Amino acid sequence: METVIDIRGLTKTYGTVRALDGLTLSIPRGGVYGILGPNGAGKSTLFRTLLGLIRPTEGEATVMGGRIGDPASMRRMGSMIETPRFPPFMTARQVLEWLARAHGGVTSAEIDNWLQRVGLTEAANRRVKGFSVGMLQRLGVAAALMTKPDLVILDEPTSGMDPPGIQEMRALIRSLADHDGVTVILASHQLQEVQRVCDRVAIFNKGKVITEGKVSDLTASGERLRLSVTPLAKALSVLGDRATLDGDVVVAAVPRAEAAAAIKALVESGVDIEEARWIGADLEDVFMSETGWTGVQEQNRAG
Amino acid sequence: MLADAIRSETYRLSKNRTALFWSVLFIPIMGVLLATLGFVVAKANEAKLAGKLPPELMKGGPLDLGLTLVKSAGDFANPAILMFVLIGAATIYAGDYRWETWRLISARNTRPNLLTGKVVVVALVIVLATFAALISDVIASLIQAAVFGRPVTFSMTGAAAADFGLLTLTSWARILQFTMLGLLAAVLTRSLLAALFAPLVIGIAQFFLPQILLPMGVTTDGWLLPLLSPGLATDLLKAVIQGGMAAADLPDHAVVKGVLSLALWIGVPFAAAVVWFNRQDLSKE
Repeated sequence: METVIDIRGLTKTYGTVRALDGLTLSIPRGGVYGILGPNGAGKSTLFRTLLGLIRPTEGEATVMGGRIGDPASMRRMGSMIETPRFPPFMTARQVLEWLARAHGGVTSAEIDNWLQRVGLTEAANRRVKGFSVGMLQRLGVAAALMTKPDLVILDEPTSGMDPPGIQEMRALIRSLADHDGVTVILASHQLQEVQRVCDRVAIFNKGKVITEGKVSDLTASGERLRLSVTPLAKALSVLGDRATLDGDVVVAAVPRAEAAAAIKALVESGVDIEEARWIGADLEDVFMSETGWTGVQEQNRAG
Repeated sequence: MLADAIRSETYRLSKNRTALFWSVLFIPIMGVLLATLGFVVAKANEAKLAGKLPPELMKGGPLDLGLTLVKSAGDFANPAILMFVLIGAATIYAGDYRWETWRLISARNTRPNLLTGKVVVVALVIVLATFAALISDVIASLIQAAVFGRPVTFSMTGAAAADFGLLTLTSWARILQFTMLGLLAAVLTRSLLAALFAPLVIGIAQFFLPQILLPMGVTTDGWLLPLLSPGLATDLLKAVIQGGMAAADLPDHAVVKGVLSLALWIGVPFAAAVVWFNRQDLSKE
């Protein structure tokens, strides 16, 4: 598998806080790669490190084959980290003209094209001082993409956008990966968005990757059995801590291979099964189980 | 790559009309306005003021614009110009911290290039401010000639042209040196206010330095005082260029001391800023 980013044991500390804690991760070329994690998980720190904005305390990484900060590699990247900010006295077009000059090789026609693609044509000659967060995000995305990068890092690209804007951004990101061959790495708190747009994800917690893989594989592994049964108490007792109550149905975290045995045990215990069906996990379930569970366990241990 | 950094910084400054106005145009405009007001008031009260004002202001022969230019080039690096050029320089040096835009441009070029680009643009701003000041002095002279009915001439001998060039260069270097303290302060503190005030505080301290050190026997005859005070070093260079009375009591090696002091006060803050910026985390601009 060809990779665009290889990270080995990356650590970044701020005083006693370990924002990245021996992070190791390889991100394949092509497609859309999601980075998920609760606030403070290390997503933005990782992005800033990969862009050479901050120096790692330990470890190393290669980006597009070059070491962090290698000018040739950096020039093949586009990025938008957190809510982008711009000099307030400039218009949207002037911002892109300014950044185009810093990079070189971007024409005015391409700038017009990007203003149109992110929906800012009408606001092109307005000063950014009066822009909403969503408009700043759009301009930030245009700034990241106008240099035709091979790799794009987008941190919360739809933050502050309205629903149509989110939909447009999702389509743009997929189009970059599918038609332009750009590798897109994005961080987002909107898990539905990530599930819809990403091919692979890594879930971060406390500066480490706690799970990584294809979105389809991660959600498949979280499949559960939904059972309409009576009596509920008896069913819960038979299934033990694998089962939870969701309204008046029992949801059981039972692997497919063990499902028949579980149902047999219920029947033999006198439980009446009206309906049994598989429900898939979504990314939110995976995220909560990976990050929430870990957090509770550690709190308990600490307590 | 450096050319890209210069191009982008120049473009951004060209859109920052406020910084350009205060750093390039404010002092020349005020200079012309105040001079005009002074000439008109003096003319209106010519009879009352006779004998109280310098006779060359109101009477005398032709007004030589060539001499005006040479004098203006020598006086250009005055405290007012230093302060107002510093506004533009501080905006350029600290702007990316203030607007949190380092994250946008630092991935597009190398850090030394980006800082060097800023210094080159500040150097260009000083050139612009120099031209604006020279033009305003010429305009003020023309107004003076018109108000008092004096004829205008222009003479510039080869020696005067050389003086004009060298004085302009010296004033330019002095202002650049002053702004380099702003660069270092901006990088060390990430603050626009520090970029503005640190050079002022250091400049004031350097202004009083001779008065503190002279009683201790430290004079311009030695190396320490000119090297610690770039303002004094600039005065030495100007005296050498202007010659005459000004150059009567010059210490030995005045040119070397002057050039070395300005070079050190430009080069050391710049090198320190580049080294620090290269190691700086931009987690929060």
